[in-house]
Amino acid sequence: MSSQIWLGLLSGIAFGFVIQRVGATNPDKMARAHLMIEGGIPRFMLLAVLLSAIGLLGLDVSGVGRTLIIPASLVATGIAGVLFGIGWGLCGYCPGTTWAAAGEGRMDAVFALLGGLAGTALFAQVHEILIPLLHAPTNLGQITLADWFGSELAAAVVLVAVFAASILGIGMLWERD
Amino acid sequence: MDKNQLSPPYWKWVSAAFALAGIIVFVFATFGPPASSSGFVAVLKGAIAPVAPDYVEAKAHYRMSAGPGAWVFAFVLGMAIGGFIAARTFPAPVRDIPEIWEKRFGSSRIKRYAATFAGGFVILFASRLTGGCTLGLFISGSTQLAVSGLYFGVLIFAFAMLTARIVYGRAGKEGQ
Repeated sequence: MSSQIWLGLLSGIAFGFVIQRVGATNPDKMARAHLMIEGGIPRFMLLAVLLSAIGLLGLDVSGVGRTLIIPASLVATGIAGVLFGIGWGLCGYCPGTTWAAAGEGRMDAVFALLGGLAGTALFAQVHEILIPLLHAPTNLGQITLADWFGSELAAAVVLVAVFAASILGIGMLWERD
Repeated sequence: MDKNQLSPPYWKWVSAAFALAGIIVFVFATFGPPASSSGFVAVLKGAIAPVAPDYVEAKAHYRMSAGPGAWVFAFVLGMAIGGFIAARTFPAPVRDIPEIWEKRFGSSRIKRYAATFAGGFVILFASRLTGGCTLGLFISGSTQLAVSGLYFGVLIFAFAMLTARIVYGRAGKEGQ
């Protein structure tokens, strides 16, 4: 579908532009965020989720768009979260920002991208071993907060409240924005 | 950056978050949940398929993933283009080694590139294990109220903060 290519390209350009402008592609700012010096980027991320969740409710009501819940696996998602956090803290890039930062011309991001391709290749090689071993046994399925709080709306209210509290908390605990 | 220069004109987090949320909702409306780690798989699949079509056909991870010509492939290339345009129209110089890293570990390119290669390797291996990254799992997932995204989000922030403290030590706090 060529319209999907154009939509993907357009969305990517806009996304890459915005994350550069807020400083998320700058590993120096990312490190300062992780060290609790600058709170701007984590607050940006959490507010973007909060607003998107409200926007998505609107799309649901109007019946537009497509959602897809990624299953939660207690063990696999847990191990992945720990490893991902270590890698993110070490290099200051995450998969999306490496593309935009490499586009900026940051050479260290080009190496993060190459490392990412190598890590992807290794996982693809061992997928048949690791998914049955780590992911499948504790796979809780496509659960959402709506399963816990009874309705989509109640769950969204909880999410907005928790994220708003986190944004305020970062404002208090980090040294500056 | 020199202390005497004006600090680079980064966007404020509130306005940037409105801009990003607008893009995310647009993506949900026109495609589905945005993702970027699967873009790595699409790129690899496109690179390997012409050379070793049997391998790509045999491996579940490539079979279940989109290839070149798919939305995610265009999205990650678009992000690189967006980053390129943004950097060309931004006054701060683009650095190959971040200031905070240089202060702690010196200006060795080999050391920095080895660290980002290792970091990139680990974050993509982890992302593929659980089916998403900061965008594809934490942001997309939490937007859809998914427990997987929130669980992943808590862990990545906690362990990145811990790791940054170990990596930068007190150097991170000096000379701000």
